[in-house]
Amino acid sequence: MNSEMVFFWTAVAFYGLSAFSYIFGLISMKEKLFSAGLILSFLGLAGNVTAVAFRWIKGGVLPFSDISESITSGVLIAIAIFLIVQASSKRLRAIGALVMPVAFVLIGWAGTLMKEVSGQIAPSLQSYWLWFHIVGASTGFGAVLVAAGTGLVFLLKERYKTGIYEKLPDPDSLDNLNYRFVAGGFIMFGLMLISGALWSNQVHGKYWNWDPVESWSLVCWLIYGMFLHLRITMGWRGRSLAWYSMVAVLVMITSYWGIPFVVQNFHTGFRIEH
Amino acid sequence: MQLKGNRNSGGRWRKLRIFNQLYNFLSSVRLTIVLFVLILISCVTGTALLPVPVARLFIFSSIWFNVLLVFLISNVAFCFFPKIWRRKIDLIFAGMIIFHLSFILLFIGIVYDSMFYFRGTIRLTEGETLNLADSRSYDHIEQGRFFERERNLKMWIVLHKLVTGHKVNGKNMGVANEISVGGREEVKRDFIYVINHLEYKGFKFYRARDGFSPLIVLRDRNGNVLYGAYSPLQSIREENKKYLYVIGTAEAPGYIPFPQDSILQQLFYLQAKYYPSPKNSRIGEVFFDVREIVSDDPEDGKELFSGSAALRERVSVGDYFLSMEEVRYWASIDIRHNPGLPLIFTSLWIGFGGIILTTVARLIKRK
Ligand code: HEM
Repeated sequence: MNSEMVFFWTAVAFYGLSAFSYIFGLISMKEKLFSAGLILSFLGLAGNVTAVAFRWIKGGVLPFSDISESITSGVLIAIAIFLIVQASSKRLRAIGALVMPVAFVLIGWAGTLMKEVSGQIAPSLQSYWLWFHIVGASTGFGAVLVAAGTGLVFLLKERYKTGIYEKLPDPDSLDNLNYRFVAGGFIMFGLMLISGALWSNQVHGKYWNWDPVESWSLVCWLIYGMFLHLRITMGWRGRSLAWYSMVAVLVMITSYWGIPFVVQNFHTGFRIEH
Repeated sequence: MQLKGNRNSGGRWRKLRIFNQLYNFLSSVRLTIVLFVLILISCVTGTALLPVPVARLFIFSSIWFNVLLVFLISNVAFCFFPKIWRRKIDLIFAGMIIFHLSFILLFIGIVYDSMFYFRGTIRLTEGETLNLADSRSYDHIEQGRFFERERNLKMWIVLHKLVTGHKVNGKNMGVANEISVGGREEVKRDFIYVINHLEYKGFKFYRARDGFSPLIVLRDRNGNVLYGAYSPLQSIREENKKYLYVIGTAEAPGYIPFPQDSILQQLFYLQAKYYPSPKNSRIGEVFFDVREIVSDDPEDGKELFSGSAALRERVSVGDYFLSMEEVRYWASIDIRHNPGLPLIFTSLWIGFGGIILTTVARLIKRK
């Protein structure tokens, strides 16, 4: 196994342990397990970053050109955002109970799809729009994943009142946080869609192709747009939106990685034929 | 249609009532929800259940789907704006207004573009010139209802050369086509490759596909040239991921009647496969497969010749000689004209600014 792989699977292992700590922390109501989960997720991130760096150096391109690379880097950014949130407030630890299992399952799946670095720089990847596209996509994913985490914590807080649940933020703040992360995700997806269109226009002279990945990203964006309308225009709050954000993140994950997996090519734009 | 009927039956008020009903319909939140759901269902069906080309034909480019989109836009216009009409405008609000306006602008751009756009694909061999005003120069044309090709596309194009491994600032950009596009006043010459296109008078030229185009020559027994033509070969990807360069269709090898020109007598069916040498792709071997013409199906005819030949080596087929004299590349080039594009991209960025404005204003207000 090369060093990239060692770091990659170490990251997967730490993420897995972290996910278990968080889940058992919730079940057994032990806050110490949350702290352990946090440390483990940090170690996982370190491994994740190192593995991506190895790949980046070896391939010479931003490792984002197939599903497994895209998941690995997407999870990296999502966990980074999660850790920033953790650093800003101690009371939000429980979000990890949703974020970490999702991260673990995704990156584990990515591991099974991993291929050798192709060593070839696909010329279409040398456009600056691609950077915006990737940053938009991965931070957007991180934001809505954290939003879904706050949704879960909101629902738990509503149901249970004692023990560690007492220390969680009040429902209003959770609800508000959920909205903010959705709004942030919505903006980043907007950036992803726009820069994707510009990039596609640069390479193919077509800004919108209705290819499966594009259509699904649009669907996702509209779903989060609907969230904002339900909240702002229709005045929805609390439980319904908490559920909404948790379901929406599933659609999001499906559209990013499920659809390209099923249709067998990660965006037609990435495939250069000669 | 309905409006017309009403005009005939007179009544100004009747007419207004129709407008009122139309307005109520277009501005209802119920319509928004119905539209969102219908669009979502269409997108999901179009991507998860149907193959892409089918979905494109029956959903995404269909009239009904586009009518849904037009309704959505009208809905934004009739629902969002009246709702906020008398509100005090703060920054949060300004952002929302900008955002929804940009959405409408975006669709105006898209509709405008769909009326005047042009999209064509041409294929030419190195050294060849094509007149772009002539529809016969194209493999494929699509255009908006109001686009006039003869008037707008008074230009010609030359493919000078195709280079593989084109380097720009030390970076390998893959295949590049060196082309010139010109009209009466001006000529532009440039390399087009994956992230670079050439623009001439509002038309953009993009590199699409390419392949080999050997010059196949027919001689009589005395060595006099009777006929010669460049025959573009397909690049068919085989299971081992290598390419087979051969006469045929995009999917499978096939035969062409030879000589191909309709004024000459067709002598036999010909298939040619090209095997480029690893060192220089323009020097290689050709494998000829020649059959007698007895019916429309080449397989019915007797095999007249089957074997390979080096560059310029003549092989004997009945009373004739066949040879591959030269190998050039062919390239297909996409020509695009999208006059709505500036409006589309501008409104996207304006809209993006709008959401950011709303969000930032919200954050400031909270503090
Ligand atoms: C289809 C018709 C649409 C209608 C009728 C509509 C209506 C509205 C209204 C009335 C508001 C302001 C709510 C308030 O303060 O009372 C709003 C906000 C907003 N709308 Fe729309 N809208 C439409 C389409 C869209 C679409 C397609 C998107 C993008 C997916 C979108 C994104 C937004 C955003 C981001 C906000 C601001 C939310 C916030 O402040 O965080 N809208 N919309």
